[in-house]
Amino acid sequence: MRLSTILLGAATAAASVAAKTVQYDWVVSTVTANPDDLYERDVVGVNGAWPPPPIVVEKGDRLIVNMTNKLDQPASIHFHGMYQNGTNEMDGPVFVTQCPVPSGSNFIYNFTVDQVGSYWYHSHYKAQYVNGFRGPLIVKDPDEPWDYDEDVYLTLSDWYHDDAFYLVKNEFLTLRNPTGAEPIPDAGLMNDTQNVKWKVEPNTTYKLRIINIGGFVSQYIWFEGHDFEIVEVDGIYVENQKASMLYVTVAQRYTILLTTKNTTDENFPFMISFDLNMLDNLPDTLQYNTTGWLTYDEDADFPDAAVIDEFDFYDDFYLVPLEKEEPWEADTTITATVIMDNLGDGANYAFFSNETYVAPKVPTLMTVMSAPENESTNAWIYGSNTNAHVLEYGDVVEIVLNNGDTGTHPFHLHGHAFQVIERSNASDSDDDFITYDASNPGIINEYPMRRDTLYLRPNGYFVIRFKANNPGVWFFHCHIEWHLEQGLAMTLIEAPTEIRERITIPDDHWAACKAGGYSYEGNAAANTENYFDLTGEAVQPDPLPAGFTARGIVAMVFSCVSAFLGMGFITWYGMSELKTTEHEVAQVMGEIPLDDESGESK
Amino acid sequence: MANNVFDVSVFFIVFRETLEASIIISVLLAFLKQGVGRSSEDPLLYKRLVKHVWVGSAIGLFCCLVIGGAFIGTWYSLGRDIWGSAEDIYEGVFCLIATIIISIMGLAMLRLNKLKEKWRVKIAEALEERNHYGKGWFGRFSRKYAMAILPLITILREGVEAIVFVGGVSLSSPAKAFPLPVICGLAGGILIGYLMYKGGDFVKIQFFLIVATCFLYLVGAGLFSKAVWYLEFYKWVQLVGDGAAESGTGAGSYDIRKSVWHVNCCDPENDGGWMIFNALFGWQNSATYGSVISYNIYWIAVMVAVLLFLYKEKNGYYPGLKSWTLKRDAKKVAKRRAKMEARRAEAAAAAGEEYEETKTASV
Repeated sequence: MRLSTILLGAATAAASVAAKTVQYDWVVSTVTANPDDLYERDVVGVNGAWPPPPIVVEKGDRLIVNMTNKLDQPASIHFHGMYQNGTNEMDGPVFVTQCPVPSGSNFIYNFTVDQVGSYWYHSHYKAQYVNGFRGPLIVKDPDEPWDYDEDVYLTLSDWYHDDAFYLVKNEFLTLRNPTGAEPIPDAGLMNDTQNVKWKVEPNTTYKLRIINIGGFVSQYIWFEGHDFEIVEVDGIYVENQKASMLYVTVAQRYTILLTTKNTTDENFPFMISFDLNMLDNLPDTLQYNTTGWLTYDEDADFPDAAVIDEFDFYDDFYLVPLEKEEPWEADTTITATVIMDNLGDGANYAFFSNETYVAPKVPTLMTVMSAPENESTNAWIYGSNTNAHVLEYGDVVEIVLNNGDTGTHPFHLHGHAFQVIERSNASDSDDDFITYDASNPGIINEYPMRRDTLYLRPNGYFVIRFKANNPGVWFFHCHIEWHLEQGLAMTLIEAPTEIRERITIPDDHWAACKAGGYSYEGNAAANTENYFDLTGEAVQPDPLPAGFTARGIVAMVFSCVSAFLGMGFITWYGMSELKTTEHEVAQVMGEIPLDDESGESK
Repeated sequence: MANNVFDVSVFFIVFRETLEASIIISVLLAFLKQGVGRSSEDPLLYKRLVKHVWVGSAIGLFCCLVIGGAFIGTWYSLGRDIWGSAEDIYEGVFCLIATIIISIMGLAMLRLNKLKEKWRVKIAEALEERNHYGKGWFGRFSRKYAMAILPLITILREGVEAIVFVGGVSLSSPAKAFPLPVICGLAGGILIGYLMYKGGDFVKIQFFLIVATCFLYLVGAGLFSKAVWYLEFYKWVQLVGDGAAESGTGAGSYDIRKSVWHVNCCDPENDGGWMIFNALFGWQNSATYGSVISYNIYWIAVMVAVLLFLYKEKNGYYPGLKSWTLKRDAKKVAKRRAKMEARRAEAAAAAGEEYEETKTASV
């Protein structure tokens, strides 16, 4: 089986194609699939087929995706990594920039692609993309700086046999899972299948786009016997960096140049392997390695991959972008601690400091558009449970995240690529935390790396900065789908005044809201009269009762009273013996009571 | 009980059984004193018989300790890791067995004089019986050493009873929780028995016994509550799986739907001081409706039992069982009379006298 090839060869590098419109008409519906050959299940397919097709455009093209939702649930599409400059309404996350597209409705995504690189698209309606609604999005660059022979892509993914919504409702976000243990995947996939045999020619340089389209687990990737050069991450070109292994979190992309060997007598395995530290338990049935082969000779052996002792991967923090930027000075800072904790319903939720994300009744972008001009810059109207921050146009925004959790979290910012200023290591023990101290900074690169999805190490921190020059409502969240369901998200309302000037929401978007019965005007509580009145907004569950509540005190008091009463009765019983004893002693002193007529004593 | 050094239930059982045994011995010695000791005929005989009593008791005690030690030793060496995932059910059932055993024997401790009376009657009858032992070797032996055999047998019986009960209440304790309570129970029981023999201040003894019984029932109430708690905890662990153990004392270690109170500290499973609180009062840092209600129901049951016993002592029968009780007692008395008449007839025949049935008014 060949690796999927993009219809572009190096030969077309000379002539650049004029910007055009590329339209995809997609009918999204339920189909069945069995990519790991273990279990056939329902998946979300496009035009009756699964996996969903790749989107391939060129820089400057206008991309139109005309989606008809024939599922029995709502849907939406997010084009991961697209800056959507001036087209925030096309970004895709439900209740952030749009209403969910109801079953039976039609929805058009229409925007110009003004950037290059490897991206992907996926549903942004709850956990839907884990059910298979995701695929690569390739933007070709007519002026790329490298020499290579063939342009190919490889998607990596984790795969579940169960429906994602079922898992969330019954096994994950319930009081039966108080530790918040994420569901364990059933298999790993390469290009939505397994046992990939990538036919390669000797002495050829391939540009391989590696895209992790999974929902949870980060994966290591390496090619036995072959090193490679990293040339692009998340759409940002970097100085060629030699490496032999990568650590790819979900949603991240790495484009590498891989040069094949001279000889064709053997085939070489290449591996993707789950980061097992992310899994709470390791069932025996779990295949956490997935193997493919660089196939030089189809008739030769396909050896098993060798066992390796350690994962020596390249730390992307040290990549140097081709377009060098010095670290920006921050104008405003958002600091938050990532915490996982339980609320009053017994389930485990995720928090930025003390607030988890609960979707508002009105998509935040629509609140921006419908609010009175002077109130749209007040974060209050966007809800008390949406982690809303209003940013000023042109500011350099710094986000400092301290990880109060022992898990690895890949965070993604919509609408931007950010500078990676600092990232600490993981702490040595589960009880120690490394927090950011601005007066005592860690390593800062001269020209910081940039990307749109960055992972936070256990108990560590990272610092990122971006420029607020793209008016829009941008979601910032952990890309582990389960954690997003737990509410690990914040809403950045970037330049609301400019949003109102530049963004127009098309008719079919409003129609989708109406068709689904969603509110599309007003504040987070859908209040159109008084934007500061949030009564009725969706809020997080109450906290767990701490210590003794009224009912506990009553129970304790009652129990103590019972005990004392009971002991009183016992004392009464004991004391009554004293009276009879004296009587008895007088009666029967020293006598052998053979004459007693009855067995009872008086 | 999860108490690691002093199993309170074991203490109470050993205390009570030792108490009963020392009462028996004190009654025997009192008999001897009155019967043989008063008459200055044969001081040597008196001393010899007293020695018999002590030797018999000592052998009986020794046998008990051997049997008890062997039983407990085998029990523990067989290993108790067979509980596995049903451990909480076993813990709950063990607590239930323990509370039933000590609850039943508890109130009886407050009627020691009754106990003494009961034994007086029994021992007197036994002494009578020995006149009727057979003529063979065993009969002669028994007659000669009656004063030794009697305590030996009764101590053995009490002792085995104690071992069985101790086995029942201590199913969930580690082996090292045994020696201390056994020794304390022995010491306490012997002390009280001695005091009773000396005819000491009964009021003080009774006060001590009342306090001990109150403690006993506190422990019993705690055990009952714990039994219910363990069974509910088992259901929770079945629902949640590994998460319950990982959560320690925090969220997830208990079922929020059934919780009456929960504090994240003071966990009796892990905290030494609170473990004692748990052993004595059944304290849980995470109480459920079941555990709280069962605690209160236990005390209500104790109070009802006291009322019933007091009623019976005053009237001779339990409320509602008057006619049944009277019938049963009449049968008992008739049986006794028949036995007594038989003996009299025998004695008369031996003496060659004519036997006349004594007429008494019918009861």
